[in-house]
Amino acid sequence: MQDPQTWSFLGLPALLWIPLLPLLGSAINLLIGKWLGKPTAGLIAVFAVGAACVLSGLMVFKGLFYQPSPEAPVLWQAGGITQTAWSWLEVGGFKAEMAFRLDSLSAVMIMIITFVGTWIHIYSMGYMAHDKGYHRYFGYLNLFTGSMLILVLAANLPVMFIGWEGVGLCSFLLIGFWYENDAYAYAGRKAFVVNRIGDFMFLLGMFLLYWAVKSLDFNDIKNASNITVLHDSVWGPHNSHVWADERLAAAAGICLFGGACGKSAQLPLFVWLPDAMAGPTPVSALIHAATMVTAGVYMVCRLSFLYSISTTAMIVISTVGLLTALVAAFIAFAQTDLKKVLAYSTVSQLGFMFVAAGTGNYTAAIFHLGTHAFFKACLFLGAGSVMHGMEHGGSTTPGDITTMGGLRKHMPITRATFLISCLAISGIFPFAGFFSKDEILGGAWAVAGHGTPPGWPSAFGYILWGGLLIAALGTAFYMWRLYFLVFSGNERSEAAKHAHESPASMTSALAILALFATVIGFIGVPHLEMLHGIPSAFHALSNWLAPAVQHAWIIDATHTVPIGGEGSDTMTITLMVIALGIGAFGILAAWALYGRGPSARVAKWVEGPLAGPYEASKNKLWFDEFYDATIVKPFKMLARGLFEIADRFIIDTVAVNGAAFVVSLFSRLSRWVQNGQVQRYLSGLVVGAAAVFLVTDCHRHPAFSITRHGEQLALHAEPGAGIVAPNVKLHWHLDGTTDCSMEKDKPSDPPDLTVRRGDVAGRVALCIDDAIGRKMTVVTAEVPTEETP
Amino acid sequence: MNDLLFDVGYGHFLVLAAVLFLIGVAGVLIRRNALIILMSVELMLNAANMTLLTFSRMWGDQGALSAHTFALIVIGVAAAEASVGLAIVVAVFRGRRNVDVDKLTTLRH
Amino acid sequence: MKFLAWLIAAALILCVAGIATPSLVHAQPVPTAERPAGQGGDAPHAIVTKTHPHDDIVESSGKGMAVLFWIFAAASIAGALFVVTRRNLIAAVMGMVGSFVGIAAVYMMLYAQFLAVIQMLVYAGAIMVLFVFVIMILNRPEDEPVAPTGRLGQVIGGAAILYLVARLAMILINVALPNKAVALASPAPIMLPGWGTVAAEPVGWGTVKAVGNDLFGPGLFPFEAISILLLVAVVGAIAIARPLHPDDGTDADPGIHP
Repeated sequence: MQDPQTWSFLGLPALLWIPLLPLLGSAINLLIGKWLGKPTAGLIAVFAVGAACVLSGLMVFKGLFYQPSPEAPVLWQAGGITQTAWSWLEVGGFKAEMAFRLDSLSAVMIMIITFVGTWIHIYSMGYMAHDKGYHRYFGYLNLFTGSMLILVLAANLPVMFIGWEGVGLCSFLLIGFWYENDAYAYAGRKAFVVNRIGDFMFLLGMFLLYWAVKSLDFNDIKNASNITVLHDSVWGPHNSHVWADERLAAAAGICLFGGACGKSAQLPLFVWLPDAMAGPTPVSALIHAATMVTAGVYMVCRLSFLYSISTTAMIVISTVGLLTALVAAFIAFAQTDLKKVLAYSTVSQLGFMFVAAGTGNYTAAIFHLGTHAFFKACLFLGAGSVMHGMEHGGSTTPGDITTMGGLRKHMPITRATFLISCLAISGIFPFAGFFSKDEILGGAWAVAGHGTPPGWPSAFGYILWGGLLIAALGTAFYMWRLYFLVFSGNERSEAAKHAHESPASMTSALAILALFATVIGFIGVPHLEMLHGIPSAFHALSNWLAPAVQHAWIIDATHTVPIGGEGSDTMTITLMVIALGIGAFGILAAWALYGRGPSARVAKWVEGPLAGPYEASKNKLWFDEFYDATIVKPFKMLARGLFEIADRFIIDTVAVNGAAFVVSLFSRLSRWVQNGQVQRYLSGLVVGAAAVFLVTDCHRHPAFSITRHGEQLALHAEPGAGIVAPNVKLHWHLDGTTDCSMEKDKPSDPPDLTVRRGDVAGRVALCIDDAIGRKMTVVTAEVPTEETP
Repeated sequence: MNDLLFDVGYGHFLVLAAVLFLIGVAGVLIRRNALIILMSVELMLNAANMTLLTFSRMWGDQGALSAHTFALIVIGVAAAEASVGLAIVVAVFRGRRNVDVDKLTTLRH
Repeated sequence: MKFLAWLIAAALILCVAGIATPSLVHAQPVPTAERPAGQGGDAPHAIVTKTHPHDDIVESSGKGMAVLFWIFAAASIAGALFVVTRRNLIAAVMGMVGSFVGIAAVYMMLYAQFLAVIQMLVYAGAIMVLFVFVIMILNRPEDEPVAPTGRLGQVIGGAAILYLVARLAMILINVALPNKAVALASPAPIMLPGWGTVAAEPVGWGTVKAVGNDLFGPGLFPFEAISILLLVAVVGAIAIARPLHPDDGTDADPGIHP
C-alpha cells in the first residue's frame, strides 16, 4: 500500500476530498437544485455525505493503520496524515497553508460527523418532503457538513477558522431557514451575532499565539509548547518582554475558549441555542446537538498541549463548564417546549464536556462528545418525529408538551428510541451515557486528589464533582419529566389522539442512532484492575486518542504531573455507583411526579413555595432581557445616534450636499465672469491692471548686501521691486550714522559701491528716499568679518 | 505742497492725462448708453495724445517721427473709429430700438 | 449754475488728491539688512537723462502759468466728468466739447500749437458734431446712468479705478527733469533738414511747418495709411448704417432715412 500521505485524486489530496464532497453537493443543490426536483436534490446531498463517510472510513481504517516500515509505528500513533492542498496566505513572514491533518482525534470527529450526518440527511428527506425550500435546505446542510469537516481536519488555526466561520454561517442560514417568519429570522440573526462575539475572541487568541510563536500551525505551537524548548526560545528569558509562558498560554487559551463559548453555547453566550430551535428539527439534531456545538470542545482538545501549560485557563474552562451545566439544567426544569428542553439539555451536556476538558481529561471530553452526539441526535430526531406526528394530527403548536401525552400508543418506535436515549443521557448502565459521564466525574474527582497540579485549588476538584453530580441529577429529572409528559398518561389534546408514526425514512435513522447510543459506550470502559484481562477493544477510545492529546500537566521544563492520576479500583467503582444512583434517583423522582402526566402536586408547589424558582426557570433566568437592556439597547441607541449624526449630517448634508453646494457656488461665481456684456470684460481688464500695480507695489523689500573681498567691501543696494525703483534716491552712510534728514536735495548715490575696509566704521546705513511714497527708509547692517569665498 | 501747486512740471501733465484716461475708462465701464461709451473712448484717446505730447516735449526730440505727427494720426484714427462706431450704433438702434449695451448679450454663448 | 458747481467740485477733488497722495502710499515692510537682495532682476538702472538743449536756461515759469494750467486742467476734468455722469446726451456732448477746449489749451501750454488747433477743428468741430447728429437721429433718452444691478461689479471696478488713479498720480507726478522750471519754458527751435535746393532752416517747435515737414517726409507712410483708413471708415459707415432694402424681406424701420 502506498504511503497515505501521498494519496490524492484528481490532483487534490485525499484529505481535501472529505470536506470537498459535501461542498460539491452543496454547490449542485444551491445552483441547480430547483430544477433537479424533490427526491433528486436530497439524494445528491445524501450521497455526498455518504461518500464523505465512506472516504473517511477508508482514510481512517486503511490510511491511519499504515506502517511505513515494519519497525516504524503505525501512522495513527505517529502523528497521523498531514496533507497540504496549496499555499493559501503568504504575507510578510506569515504563512498559512491549506493543510489538513488526520490523526486519531480528528478521525473520531470525522467518523461521527459523517456518520451521524448521513443518517440525518436521510431523515431530512422524509422530514422536509413537503417543504418548498427542499433543495436550499440540502444545499445548506451539505455546506455545513463540508465546513465542519474543514474545521476538524484543519492542521493550522486559519484553516480551522475557515470551518469555524463556515459552520457559523450555515447555522445562521439553517436556523432562519423559514425566513418569512420574522421571529425565525431574528433567531438566526441572534445566533450569528452571538457566534460572532465568540469569533472575535477566537481571533484574539490567534493573534496572541501568532505574536508569541510566529506561526499558527498546530505542530509549531505544540513544539513551542515543548517545555524543554520553551526557556530557550520564544517564551523564554531571551524574550523578557514577553510574558512568562504560563500567562501567555493562559491568555491565548482563554481567548480561544471565548470563541468556544460562542460556538458551543456556554455561559454567557448560550442564549442563541434555545432560540435556534426555530430551525427545522434535523438541523437542530445535526448542528446543535452533534456537530457544531462540539467544535469548541474539539478545539480545546486539539490544543490540549496549550491548555496543559496553564492551570488558569483550565480553571476558567472548568468553572464556566460547571456553571453552564447547572444553569442550563435549572432552566430546563420549567420549559414546556419539547425542543427547548432538549436545547438546554445540550447546553448542559456541553458544560459537562468542558468540565472534562478543563480537568485535563480530554479523552473523556471526546468520549462524551461522541456518545452525546448519538443520543442527543436520536432525541432531537425523535422530537422531530413527535412534532411531525402532532402536525399530522392537526396541532398548530406541535412542540408544546402540554398538549401531548399518551403518544406511546401512537408512535411506538419513536417512543422506544426516545426511551433508550433518555436512559443514555441519564447515565444508566449499559447505555453510552453511563460510561462517558462516569469518565468525566471520575476525572473531576481525580484532580482533587493527588493529581492536582500546582495552582489548582485542591478542593476545587470536589466542587466540580459535586456540581456535576447535581447537574446529572437535574438532567435525569428533566429528561424523564419530558419523556413522561410526552409519551405517558393520556392524550391531552385532539392532535395527540390523531398522531401517527413517522415514515420509515425517519424511523430508520432513529433506530440506527438508538442502537449506537446503546453500544458505543463500551469502547471507553474505564481502566479497572479487576478488568485487566478484557480485550483492549474495550479501552479502544483512550488508547486511540492517546497520541493526539496531552496527558500531563506541563509545569515547567522538567516537571510534569500526569493528568488524573491512577485512582484505586474501589474509588472508581464507588464513584460509578454514586453516579448511577443519582441517575436512578432522578428517574424515580420524575416518575413519581409525572409518571401519569402533569402532576397536581407540582402545580401546587409551583404556585406556592416554589413560585420564585419556577418563574426564574421559566423565564430562562432573564438572560435575554438582561442582554437586551445592557447591550442591545445601548448599541441600538448608539447606532441610531451615529446614523443621525455621522451618516445623515456629516456625510449626507455636509459632505455630499456640501460638495454639490460648493460646486454650484463656484459655478455661479464663474458664470458671473461671462455674461456677454463687453463692459464686464473690460472691468476685468481694469481690475487686472489695478491688481498688477498692487502686486508690484506690495513686494518691495529694500535691502542691501555687504560682501568683503580681502581689503575691499562691496556694497550692493536693492531698493526692491516695484515700478518706482528707478526713482528712488539712495544715500550711503559709511560712518554708521543713520540720520537721513539732510539728504533730500542731494543727488543719489549709485546703488553699487566699493570701498576700502578701513574707511568704514562698524555699521553701514543706507537711506532710501522713495519719492513716490514720500518715505525715507533706513536699512543698516554690520560689516562682516569673514571674507566671502 | 507749494511745489506741487505752483511748480507745474511734466508730471502734472502726465497726471492730468492719467486722470482723464481713467475717467474715460470709468465711463466705458459704468455707462450703458452706447453713445456715451463711444465718447468715453474718445476721451481715452485724448488722454493718450496728451501723454504722447508731454513726453515728446520732455525729451525734446523731433526726430524721425515726431510725437505731433503721431498725435495727428491718432486724431485721424479716432475720427474714423467714431464714425464707424456711430454707424454701428445706428444700425443696432434700427433693430432694437434702444442702445442699451446691457441688452447686447449675444456674446454669452 | 450746475456747470459751475461741477467745475468747483472738480477743482476741489484735484486739490484733495494732490494733498492726499502721500498718505495713499502703502505701508512698506520693514527692511532688514539680512534680507536677500530684492525680487530679482530689478537692478536699478541708471536714469537716462537726456540733457535738454537749454538746460542752463532757467526761465521762470511763473505762478501765472501754473494757475492757468490748473484752470484748464479743471475744465478738462470737469468736462470729462460731465460726459460720464450726464443723463442727457446733449449735455454730455457739451461737456465733451468743454473738455476738448481745456485739452486744447493744455496742448498749447505744451507748445503743441498745431495739435491744439487740429484738436479743436477735428475733435470738437467734426467728431462731436457727428455725435450730435446721431443723437438727434436716435432721439432716445437714457434711463439712468448707472445700472441698477451688478453692484458688486460696480464697486470692485470703481475701487480698481480709484486705486489706479491714486497710484498713477503718485508715480507720474515725479516724472520730471531735474529742473522742473524748464517744463513750461519755450522749447528750442527745430532744424528742418534741407533737401535739394531748399536750405535747412530752424522752425518753431510744434509749428505747422515742423509738423508738415515731418508728415510728408518721414511720416509719409502713416499719412497715406490714415487716408486709406479714413476712406475705409467712410465706406464702412455707409455700409453699416444704410437702411436695409425694402425688398430684402427684413424688417426695416420706415422712420429712418439716410
